Amino acid sequence: MRLAVTGTPGTGKTTATEHLDDRASERAQDTRVVHLNDVIREAGLHDGEDPDRASLYADFEALGEWLDEHAAGTDEDVVVESHLAHHFDAHRVVVLRCAPETLESRLLERGETEEKAEENADAEALDVILAEAVDRHGTDAVYEIDATDRSPEAVADEIRAVLDGEREPSAGTVDFTGWL
Amino acid sequence: MSQQEPEGRWAIAHVHASFNNTIITITDETGAETLAKSSGGTVVKQNRDEASPYAAMQMAETVAEDILAQGIEGVHVRVRGPGGNLQKNPGPGAQATIRALARAGLEIGRIEDVTPIPHDGTRPPKNSGF
Ligand SMILES: Nc1ncnc2c1ncn2[C@@H]1O[C@H](COP(=O)(O)OP(=O)(O)O)[C@@H](O)[C@H]1O
Ligand SMILES: [Mg+2]
Repeated sequence: MRLAVTGTPGTGKTTATEHLDDRASERAQDTRVVHLNDVIREAGLHDGEDPDRASLYADFEALGEWLDEHAAGTDEDVVVESHLAHHFDAHRVVVLRCAPETLESRLLERGETEEKAEENADAEALDVILAEAVDRHGTDAVYEIDATDRSPEAVADEIRAVLDGEREPSAGTVDFTGWL
Repeated sequence: MSQQEPEGRWAIAHVHASFNNTIITITDETGAETLAKSSGGTVVKQNRDEASPYAAMQMAETVAEDILAQGIEGVHVRVRGPGGNLQKNPGPGAQATIRALARAGLEIGRIEDVTPIPHDGTRPPKNSGF
């Protein structure tokens, strides 16, 4: 199965999916985590740069092809992790959520600029990624997880539950508009 | 977008459209002073309906009355957020808002989409998503 783990930068996708590996040995099914932002940079799958955001424009067509080549036709569970992961084919989509104030301070602590922290916090408050995920994949395939006050291990367990079919789809379970 | 030179006072209608909610704030042209404010939660009690075009329309009517009484003649509209029901740009909530503002007698000037873009060293292509 291909699982997309998406969410605004700072929601904890990379950290949580790194913890998925720890538990892989206990399972019959192998799990492979693809950190898509690294792939974009390392394989050069981008097309210009947004100077205002110091961010590469991802080449979605090239990325879709890369995923078909490297993450299809396998028995493994493939977890594709990125704030862009929901733009590609997936059987299920996890959308990690985090209260905008917490997300902003996480990004600032990680050393990001104030502009970047604020725009991402605003995007989180407006459910931008959740809406895109539901638009592309439908409410039956989307699993929203509020990671605000949870440890990376606990979030990894929730992601694992989605992989194992032990969780019901959900969307619109948080309201962060108080931030705006 | 073309528009006539405004004669009376103009304002800015900020429409925040999240998955579950729509918030309309009217400020003066500098954005400094809030003239009127309404949230989906104040009109429709059921959570799931707060992002609906109907709620947005009711809110727009209320704030329009409010600012017309304050001598505002027209509004520029700034839409932020994709809104709930998977609407393309600017979604039904925003469209319903704009129509209701116009119907209430306000002139509509520029309509801008200022939805924030999630980014982390990479970002979606220019014209993807909403
Ligand atoms: N569950 C968590 N609780 C507290 N802090 C976290 C959690 N997950 C991640 N962080 C911290 O927040 C920041 C962003 O996490 P990261 O995994 O890079 O997010 P993403 O990959 O979604 O952008 C990092 O500094 C990380 O250490
Ligand atoms: Mg990351």
